[in-house]
Amino acid sequence: MSTEAIAVEKPKRNYNVLFGLTLLALLVLLWIVLSVATPSFASGNNLANLLRQGSMIAIMAVGQTFVIITGGIDLSVGAVVGFATVVVAMMINAGFPIWLAILVTLLVGVAIGMFHGFGIVKMGLPPFIITLATLTSLRGIGLLMTNGNSININSDTFTAFSRNSFIGIPNLFWMVILVGIPAYVFLHHSRWGRYLFSVGSNAEASRLSGVNVQRTIYMAYTLSGLCAAFVGVLLAARIGIGNPTQAEGWELQAIASSVIGGTSLFGAVGSVHGPLLGAFILATINNGANLLNVNSFWQRIITGALIIIIVYFDGLRRRGK
Amino acid sequence: MTSTAQELHPAPVLAPGRTILELRGLEKRYPGTHALKPVNLAFKSGEIHAIVGENGAGKSTLIKLLTGVMPRTSGEVIWEGQPAALATPHEAMALGINAVHQEVVLCRHLTVAANMFLGEENSRFGILQQRAMVKDAQKIIDDLGFDLPAHVTLGDLTIGQQQLIAAARATVRGTKFLIFDEPTAYLTRKEADQLFTLIRRLKGEGVTIIYISHRMEEVFELADRVSVLRDGTLVGTRNIAETNDAELVKMMINRSIEQVYHKEHFTPGAPILEARNLSGKGFEDVSMTVRAGEIVGLYGLIGAGRSEFVTTLYGRHRKSAGQILWEGKEVQINSEHDAIKLGMALAPESRRDQGLCLNLSVGLNLNLPIYKRISNNLLISSAQEKTQADRQIADLRIKTPTRGALASSLSGGNQQKIVIGKWLAHGAKLFIFDEPTVGVDVGTKAEIYRLFGALLSKGAGIILISSYLPEVYELADTLHVFRRGKLVATHGFRAASHEDILTQALAEKQEKLGGQI
Ligand SMILES: Nc1ncnc2c1ncn2[C@@H]1O[C@H](COP(=O)(O)OP(=O)(O)OP(=O)(O)O)[C@@H](O)[C@H]1O
Ligand SMILES: [Mg+2]
Repeated sequence: MSTEAIAVEKPKRNYNVLFGLTLLALLVLLWIVLSVATPSFASGNNLANLLRQGSMIAIMAVGQTFVIITGGIDLSVGAVVGFATVVVAMMINAGFPIWLAILVTLLVGVAIGMFHGFGIVKMGLPPFIITLATLTSLRGIGLLMTNGNSININSDTFTAFSRNSFIGIPNLFWMVILVGIPAYVFLHHSRWGRYLFSVGSNAEASRLSGVNVQRTIYMAYTLSGLCAAFVGVLLAARIGIGNPTQAEGWELQAIASSVIGGTSLFGAVGSVHGPLLGAFILATINNGANLLNVNSFWQRIITGALIIIIVYFDGLRRRGK
Repeated sequence: MTSTAQELHPAPVLAPGRTILELRGLEKRYPGTHALKPVNLAFKSGEIHAIVGENGAGKSTLIKLLTGVMPRTSGEVIWEGQPAALATPHEAMALGINAVHQEVVLCRHLTVAANMFLGEENSRFGILQQRAMVKDAQKIIDDLGFDLPAHVTLGDLTIGQQQLIAAARATVRGTKFLIFDEPTAYLTRKEADQLFTLIRRLKGEGVTIIYISHRMEEVFELADRVSVLRDGTLVGTRNIAETNDAELVKMMINRSIEQVYHKEHFTPGAPILEARNLSGKGFEDVSMTVRAGEIVGLYGLIGAGRSEFVTTLYGRHRKSAGQILWEGKEVQINSEHDAIKLGMALAPESRRDQGLCLNLSVGLNLNLPIYKRISNNLLISSAQEKTQADRQIADLRIKTPTRGALASSLSGGNQQKIVIGKWLAHGAKLFIFDEPTVGVDVGTKAEIYRLFGALLSKGAGIILISSYLPEVYELADTLHVFRRGKLVATHGFRAASHEDILTQALAEKQEKLGGQI
């Protein structure tokens, strides 16, 4: 019985792995094509740049994926990033130690996520609405706090972090690993991960099975807010300023990365490696298009087309399975 | 397109007894499952042809092929002498083939009338004639003898009532061939009788009917012929007069069952749960006690308040008055979580809406209540996750290629086994089973009843809700009858006759005399 069960379980695992490998192959293919097409692509400088840019979207996409798995959506993440740059910049400039500034910023992200959970669970608002509301108001609050100005961060230690590398790989990319591994364990090897899936599949059935649905929803949005605030810290370090209008439209990039990575907007389907690869595929396309002097308008069109193509093929295979 | 009540049942053209539909080597493979091995079978026009078989035998698959819901792998379907492709539901309907599927597939947010005419709305210059549609729908429903309003939202009806609407809908469109896939699973006897009247009437009008059911007595009551499927193979077809219960069961499961209702009696122990004058949404002033080692059966019509009563015990809904005592002490149950912590388990009524995460794996569904137990603070023990799931799959003989298969790919009866199985692994002091054997085949039913015995012997108590009287009648130590949200009668094991219990559940006479309701 059990041997039989193990023997047939393989196809499902394989499918997940296969999809991941396909994405990876696509990424490698893009890199090869671009290296041939433009010599500047494979330069160390450019690759580091690409990794830095992709890393930030990747981390947001992981948090976003948790939310999407529960059947929700978090439109606020871009605004949270911008707001977080302001918070961390103001605190550092006010003379707080860097670690404290970062900690407080992360807690702000947590608080925003909790607020989303509250709106959805207690006030019964649709996720789309409550996070859309935060998206606009957070930008407003940030502008009020800064009077619409950018804040130059006056700490070199803080900004140096984003420019430095560790064993040849940019620090920002190490941050993806720092987030990715615990996220993977959380989603696939802890019961909370199972609950995210079960709530996304059928909240009522989960509830009757003893799953704390409300807490699961709080958790998903809190993690998404936390990831976004963390990205805000990284972005502030990278550009050296705090500015609430930064990261405009990043929420859509995060959602796109997640969806390219195989997450279903209907909930209950998703992984951690998928959105990570998705984010780097998007970053590569943008980077390559820049180098090839492709009109930036075209970049947007290409991204849109890519989303349709990948999700279409993924759907085909799922159905064929 | 306008449809009026007059043109509902155009007379079928075929003389009775001729072959109307023939399957030649019809076959269906799903990835990992050979659901239907080549089947040859001919249906005679105007007959009621029953199809029986174990859970997962391929009955619903056969229906899906005939109604164009799924493409076949190979074989031919001959309709009135011509090969039919049956590639889409639309094509099947155009030929006059309709089905009432095992799971209601209608739009829950639309009105009954809108559902009845879905796809053939009555409109003038593109404007829906809503009033006329409600009127027409009401006429059809009244005609069929169903006591249901046409203007309400479908989702507000019970599952059984929705099933009746689905049946009514299927008769509206020039049907020559009508398939019922376990139509009575959620119906009470009264509703089932209404449905049987409808089926006989359709037969009188020359409609050919396929009737799928796990209830042998219905097959013998209705059918002219019966075919048995086992593991996707047609094992035989019999004239109903020339066969019997035992032979069919033997053909179905390849062994015989002496006794389906396996009842062990234990001396009841201490009270586990006591409800005192409990009221809430849908029920009023209900008192009852469940003791260790006994089965308390709740019988009544669907909508009588039994499910509302148990979900309130379970903390899903707030009680409005009364007390709940757990092992002698008064408790406040504010959430399902509280109830589970006390030691309750609920296998809910509707497997689709409340019981299962359909697009997740069988294993995850089975383990959902016990993840806390099979993980340490951080990680799930994947070895335990596997063994626990496999144990339930083996114990309940859940037919699935692997524990990783999606719950939605299982047959209806096998899905039902998951709903029960997840609580067996969890364990509890009080098990609440709400319609636990809906759509479950005879062999597994016997198995589940045996499991009840095992739970009781370990000192658990059981609340068993069923709209199928024989089930509660043969199993319950104490049988409470519900009517319109009130507990109206209580009997000991087999202490009252079927007729008395039915009368108490319906009590139409008393109501007409101006009874107390
Ligand atoms: N969409 C699907 N994908 C894969 N396998 C499927 C799918 N639908 C059904 N099956 C498998 O095909 C087999 C036959 O299923 P089917 O639904 O026809 O059974 P059934 O006779 O109607 O059973 P029940 O009495 O439980 O309703 C089962 O083993 C089931 O797991
Ligand atoms: Mg079926």
